[in-house]
Amino acid sequence: MENSSKDDYKIQSFDIETQTLLKTALNDPGSVDLEKVCSVIVEQSLKDQIFSREAGRICYSIVQTEAKQTNGSSFRRHLLTRLQQEFIAREETRRRSTQQWVCLVSFICNIFDYLKVNNMPMVALVQPVYDCLFRLAQPDALKNEEELHRIGDQLEKMNMQRMDEMFYLLRDGFLLQEDLSSMGRLLLLEILEFRAGGWILSDTAQKYYYSEVTD
Amino acid sequence: MSTHQKYTSENDAKHDENRNKGPSRWSSCRKRGADGSLRRSHPNEEENKDQRCSQRPESFTTPESEGPVSRVKNWGDEVEAEEMRSNVHRDMHRYRRRILASDFPQRDRKISSGSSDSRDSKDSPAKGDIETDETTLLRRQKQIIYGKNTLAYDRYIKEVPKHMRESGVHPRTPNKFKKYSRRSWDQQIKLWRVSLHAWDPPAEEGSELQQIEEIDLGEIMDFDFDVECSADTETASHYPVSNGASLSLQEDSFTGTPKKMMKTEDAEMA
Repeated sequence: MENSSKDDYKIQSFDIETQTLLKTALNDPGSVDLEKVCSVIVEQSLKDQIFSREAGRICYSIVQTEAKQTNGSSFRRHLLTRLQQEFIAREETRRRSTQQWVCLVSFICNIFDYLKVNNMPMVALVQPVYDCLFRLAQPDALKNEEELHRIGDQLEKMNMQRMDEMFYLLRDGFLLQEDLSSMGRLLLLEILEFRAGGWILSDTAQKYYYSEVTD
Repeated sequence: MSTHQKYTSENDAKHDENRNKGPSRWSSCRKRGADGSLRRSHPNEEENKDQRCSQRPESFTTPESEGPVSRVKNWGDEVEAEEMRSNVHRDMHRYRRRILASDFPQRDRKISSGSSDSRDSKDSPAKGDIETDETTLLRRQKQIIYGKNTLAYDRYIKEVPKHMRESGVHPRTPNKFKKYSRRSWDQQIKLWRVSLHAWDPPAEEGSELQQIEEIDLGEIMDFDFDVECSADTETASHYPVSNGASLSLQEDSFTGTPKKMMKTEDAEMA
């Protein structure tokens, strides 16, 4: 029983002490330092490609258990605060290490995917996820295939429904946002088409978007 | 359209006047124009450039962050607000269903006057007559949450299950869906919170939480903890109650008044 729950959350990459901490957090969140737990999870997510795609489930589980146990939401708060800090520093992270940036984006998307509020996605994260995708659509990122393929694939593997919902929101943004600059609209359109094309930019699209777009 | 401007301290006084006017002798010192876009450092069109401004060292200007700083709350706050909003909507749907259901007399469930249910015929609003304004509901819900986040409330609900509650004796959470004036609602909340104090945890030596709550009531206490209290009474009463000692004290609308109000109310209720 214990072993299977370890495997479920893919926490083998942590040292034993941390694994124990996480397991306790999953069962009895009131008894551990949730800020530390949060820290541990976020840091690992930024390093470990695989974990960044699994962390959402663990986090969701802890949030649920804490709500049931103490009616509190301090883990979620710590997580969101930390995530926001990482998000704000994302450009720096990207410059420092593409690998970390890729992990960050997968992690944010994973959290967005799993952490629901009354079964609805966290609206507060829609814009940040959108920003990350925007970033991916920028010329310098698009040239970096590694960045693209990895994230694109990962995003697609996530809950398809969630992705669709988000893209509806993006599309609505495109259609409804009047004050979106023409550059903004172009980039939005690009992402939509990009995704439709399986995250590979076709030659035509490449010509359309990149012959005119300047940095 | 909101402007996102950062001003040096010199410009603060002129802030409001100059916000929407064209270039003035002050505007060359500003990093951003009225539309939020960054100004180039040496605009040619501004004849009246104040020479002093252009030589001001970098450190005078508020450090630039990612872009125009909007009033973005942190994600933790935003998600909590989302959660509260969707909870309120869910509560409203449930409440509506209950009201409608209570209109049918053939229901098995007894509707007794002793129940703390808001379906009591004398109490329940006409079908269309419930509070639906989101701002109001959210504000009321927040006040209720502050009350429920207390140790007293926890102890209360453990001690007295709902079906055992008697009206008049046991505190009842005000019904946020009923139409009340602002004053009436606020008063109900205040009285509810006061009555919950009867379930405050027993005072312990060195329990700061308990001390502040007791002082709050303005009661003259029989001191078990003489020394600490007499010092604290002076200081505590000068500070707004919401100094973070307990969640129950983080209120916006009536932090100062309750202390005074409660004294007279206690006298009346006694």
